[in-house]
Amino acid sequence: MADTKQSGAVRCVIVTPEQTSLDTQARSVTLPLFDGLRGVGHGHSPFIGRLGAGEVRIVGEQGGPADAVRSLFVEGGFVEVGHDSVTVITQRAVPAEKIDAAAARAELDKISSTRATGDDAIDAKLKAEDTARAFVRTATR
Amino acid sequence: MAKARALDRRRKSVKNIRKITRTMELIATARFKKAMDRSVAARDYTKHLAKILENIASVGADVSHPLLESRPTQKTAVLVLTGNRGLCGGYNSNVVRQSVALLGQWKSEQVPTHVAVSGKRGISALKFRGANIAERYTQFEDKPEFAAVAPIGRAYLDAYSKGEIDRLDVVYTRFHSIAKQEAVTETLLPLAPPQASGAATSAKLASDEYSFYPSAGSILEEILPASFLSRLFKCFLDAAVSEQVARMVAMKAATENAGGLIKSLSRQYNRARQSQITGEIMEILGGVEALKK
Repeated sequence: MADTKQSGAVRCVIVTPEQTSLDTQARSVTLPLFDGLRGVGHGHSPFIGRLGAGEVRIVGEQGGPADAVRSLFVEGGFVEVGHDSVTVITQRAVPAEKIDAAAARAELDKISSTRATGDDAIDAKLKAEDTARAFVRTATR
Repeated sequence: MAKARALDRRRKSVKNIRKITRTMELIATARFKKAMDRSVAARDYTKHLAKILENIASVGADVSHPLLESRPTQKTAVLVLTGNRGLCGGYNSNVVRQSVALLGQWKSEQVPTHVAVSGKRGISALKFRGANIAERYTQFEDKPEFAAVAPIGRAYLDAYSKGEIDRLDVVYTRFHSIAKQEAVTETLLPLAPPQASGAATSAKLASDEYSFYPSAGSILEEILPASFLSRLFKCFLDAAVSEQVARMVAMKAATENAGGLIKSLSRQYNRARQSQITGEIMEILGGVEALKK
C-alpha cells in the first residue's frame, strides 16, 4: 500500500482461495468472529481468530469520507490481526452491494423449509440457516 | 499434370491446417496467461494459511488431528485430473499412464479403490483400460472455480473422517515453469503435518505473540480442512495451467512442422511442374522435327 504511515490506520486485506479480493487502508474494521462481532483499530493486540458467517465492515477507507462504510459478506475462515493490519482469510467473500437480496431470502426460505432428521443433518441445517440468515442481513442492511 | 495438381492440393490442405494450429496456439497462449494469473493470485491464500499454521505450531500447541494421522490403507481413493480436449501433446496420456500404474499397484495389493476422474480424455482412456470409475467430472475447463472444487473436497473430507477412505491420491500435471510440467501423484490425505518454521520466521514470530480465539486447537480444527481444500484447488489450477502450456507447445510444433511440410511440398510441386513443361516442349520439338521430314 502506498502510505502505511497514515496515523491510526489499519491495513485490511481480504484473501479468498481464488484471489486477494481487497487490500486497503481503513480507520477500523468490524469482524464477525465465531461468537460475535469485534472491532479492530490501529494498535490492537495481535490475535488469530475464527470467523463465523457474517459481515465485515470496513470504516473510513483511505481516500474516502471518514464515516464511509464498505461491507462484505464472509463465510467462515480466519482472521489474523497484527498491530496495524487485519488479514481476513475466508473461502468466500462477497461485497454487500453484489448480493441479490431476493435470491438470498429465497435461499434462506428453501433451507428453512427442508426437514432434517438425525443429529448431523440438524446441525448441518442450523449451520446453513445461520449462514443464509447472515447473508440476507448483510444484503439488507 | 496429375501429379503436380495432387501436390498442389495437398499443399493447400496443409496450409489450412497450419492456419488452424496457429490459431489454436494463439488461443492457448491467451488462456495460459489467464490461467497463470489465477494460479498466482491463489498463492496468497495458501501463504496466509501456512503462516497461521506456523504460528500455531510455534506456540507449541498440540498439533494432532484426525486429518494428520496416517492409518493403514484399507480403502483408498484416487482422483485423476485430465483435460476435456486433446491436441495437447502428451498432457493427457502422461497423467493416464501414471494413474494406470497407481491403480495397478492398489489392485495388486487388493485395496478397494474409489476412482474419480475429471476430464473427458481421462474418462475414456481409463474406461478403455478397464478401470471402474465411480465419479466423473467434465465441468472443469481452463478456469476451475473454488466454489466448484470445494464440494468435491468436502466429500473426500467426509469420507475420510467416516473411515470410508484411508488415503487420497491426486494424479495431475504439476506446473513448475513454462518449460517444465510433469505428471505427479500427490497424497493429499492424510495431510502432511505443518512444516517446522525456518529460523528467520520463528525469530519474527516470537516478537509477535498472538493470542488465539477461541483456542489454538479449535483454529487448527478449522484450518486443516481449509488447507486441504486449498491444496486440492491448487491441483486443479496447476492442471489447468499445464494443459494450456502443453497445448501451446504442441500447436507451436505442429505449426512449425506444417511450415516445413509446405516448403518441401512446394519444392516437389515446382519440380513436377518444370519436368512436365520440359516434357511438353520435347513433344512439340519432336512434332516439329517430324513435320520437317
